Amino acid sequence: MEKTDEKIRVLCAISGGVDSAVAAFLLKKAGFDVIGVFMKFWVDDLGAGEAQSANLDCMCDARRRAELTAGKLGIPFHVLDFSDEFKKKVVGDFLKGTQNGLTPNPCVVCNKAIKFGRLLKKAKELGAARAATGHYARIKLRKDGIFELLKGKDKEKDQSYYLWQLTQKELSKIIFPLGEFTKAEVRAAAQELALPSRDTPESQEACFAPAGTDVFLSKRLAARPGDIVDSFGKKIGTHDGLWHYTIGQRKGIKLSGGPYYVVSKNAKANVLAVSKRKSDLSGKTAILGGLNWTAGICPKLPLSVKVKIRSRSKAAAGLIKKKKGLVCLEFARPQPAITPGQSAVFYQGSRLIGGGFIAR
Amino acid sequence: MIIGNHMVKKTTKKAKNSVRRVYMDYAAATPVDPKVAKKVNAALTGVFANSMSFHSYGQAARAVLEESRAILAQMIGAQSREVFFTSSATESNNLAIKGVASANKHKGNHIIISSIEHACIMESAKWLESQGFTVTRLGVDSFGQVNPQDVANAINQSTVMVSVMHANNEIGTIQPIEEIGKICREKNVLFHTDAAQTFGKIPVNVKKMNVDLLTASSQKIYGPKGAALLYVREGVKIDPVIHGGGQESGLRAGTSNVLAIYGFALAALEARRNMARETPRLKKMRDRLQAGILKSIEGSHLNGHPQKRVPNILNVWFEFIEGESLIIQLDLRGIAASTGSACSSAKLAPSHVLIAAGMKPQEAHGSLRLSLGRFSKDSDVDYVLKALPAIIQRLREISPFKKSEETNS
Repeated sequence: MEKTDEKIRVLCAISGGVDSAVAAFLLKKAGFDVIGVFMKFWVDDLGAGEAQSANLDCMCDARRRAELTAGKLGIPFHVLDFSDEFKKKVVGDFLKGTQNGLTPNPCVVCNKAIKFGRLLKKAKELGAARAATGHYARIKLRKDGIFELLKGKDKEKDQSYYLWQLTQKELSKIIFPLGEFTKAEVRAAAQELALPSRDTPESQEACFAPAGTDVFLSKRLAARPGDIVDSFGKKIGTHDGLWHYTIGQRKGIKLSGGPYYVVSKNAKANVLAVSKRKSDLSGKTAILGGLNWTAGICPKLPLSVKVKIRSRSKAAAGLIKKKKGLVCLEFARPQPAITPGQSAVFYQGSRLIGGGFIAR
Repeated sequence: MIIGNHMVKKTTKKAKNSVRRVYMDYAAATPVDPKVAKKVNAALTGVFANSMSFHSYGQAARAVLEESRAILAQMIGAQSREVFFTSSATESNNLAIKGVASANKHKGNHIIISSIEHACIMESAKWLESQGFTVTRLGVDSFGQVNPQDVANAINQSTVMVSVMHANNEIGTIQPIEEIGKICREKNVLFHTDAAQTFGKIPVNVKKMNVDLLTASSQKIYGPKGAALLYVREGVKIDPVIHGGGQESGLRAGTSNVLAIYGFALAALEARRNMARETPRLKKMRDRLQAGILKSIEGSHLNGHPQKRVPNILNVWFEFIEGESLIIQLDLRGIAASTGSACSSAKLAPSHVLIAAGMKPQEAHGSLRLSLGRFSKDSDVDYVLKALPAIIQRLREISPFKKSEETNS
């Protein structure tokens, strides 16, 4: 159907922020037939009432900026309403995980299910060979036909961590135009081009909970009081729901004689374990689930890798191995706050080779 | 000059790529008639005074305003003093619903609407419920028609008004307004109809239709945006919604948008002049479009009433199609269409009109509205008939609905 002399069509997600705006600009400059799309996600309404929030939602600032950006770049623009699926998959997973004592990362789930899952489907429907976003990451086609996922050139801003679930099939259809740029360069370009989103602040995590995740959860999860125990298992207080706490948390535990750190959450027993010793937070092992190997094949285990256990943590040396049918991670040195629900992402140099969810 | 830039770039771009542009969304908005635009433009800098002012400048503005009122009143079979100007059909409908309910609450607190009304009626009724009124929403048949007998049955001691639209904006079905009006008269209940989709396209006469209140809009008939009217039969009690300086006999405060109203009247005259020629022309084109689509695309079905329908609206349902991608694909080929009402197009929620007509949400999602107008040409119909089957075929090949249906059942 596509003629060879025709431009390659790319569906570029435009969020209303500065990164995706510059990404769309770069694609257009590179000669692609760019279609800008704003992905509409579900957002918690803050008591404005359903009808009203639906209206606010559809004319929200981000969408307006996205549309202005597309206009400025002279590319077609459309809104893709992913709100139902976002609510079901991303918010649903977040709620379920939290109830099970985990600390889920909704961005990881969203990237897999919505940002790339749905976007690539849409791209196909709209006759676009590729989909693009403003992530700071790179994709390189190796000689043997494998698509490698690499860290963004801007080490500070690298967002590859959130993309560990991408498969070969997905990587073969994705473009990250910002991979070779730094955030400073992107900001400067946006200023120079006078893009409508040039002064937009960085987006926060959990975009669906504008008042913060604690407010969001408080509205949905009933208070569930339980014991707070110290490192000897002795009860030293009560909590009103495990989901108020995250591993490593120090502030807001409301115990006298502190400071205490949250060490673990036992969802079954509804018990929160705390300790005064920061070293109690550290662990050397983790059991992983839901693994994905970027190259599409599980490499020979055990395997030495650098591991990031949260988006902002430094990569630490570790060994992935199989133990009693489970995939385990053994760190060379103790790591602070290994948090169930978060992602452990494996790197070799700047190459992301896979990842998994921390089960315990 | 961001706005200027934006506009120019967008249009020149399209022209350069030589994508043919076909506008088939006249039910959402119409371009201003060039003849109307010329006259309004000529008056734009001259007729500026406040129509409430006593001086000669004000008198000039008032003359334009009142002349426009007389033209429009005469056109719908009303007297000038029964026509009130507002900013939009939405405002007229809000005023009709809230104003009548408020002024007649000593009589009762029940109103009746159809379940396929425009959002401005639906939401106004919902707001009334929050103020202690009760609302009956009448169902429709599979063609989207209200049964007058249902109206009769729904009227009770505390019913103060009934509101049923003249023709639906999504599927074009024309309602049995005369009959409903007759029933309302017999039962001594006020009757309002939203004629935004019919005024200027098919005959609208408040006497023949037995209505007490009627909404008509400028921007649906090639007039400028910002002007609409509400006909209120003399003697009907109605409270204002916008309070202030006594304009429009105290029913609608705010400086009159004289030139938009002037454009409205000019557009109405133009519409009347064209109607005898335009109605059959549109109908012929629409029917050719309809026949072509239903014939060339397997699994396509007509929504709405095959006969009792405004001449310019076509709504079709395609099996295994999801409207969002369809609209985008059409737009990428320069064809402007919609899945339903433009007012809800940012939401992926299925059309309440199609749901009321008995469709499943999934079927409603796969529906497309094409609406023709004065500048539609036969070649536009040809272009759509050529583009649409290929788009539908492509989408079906990768249809998420088809797959999910298979795995679900």
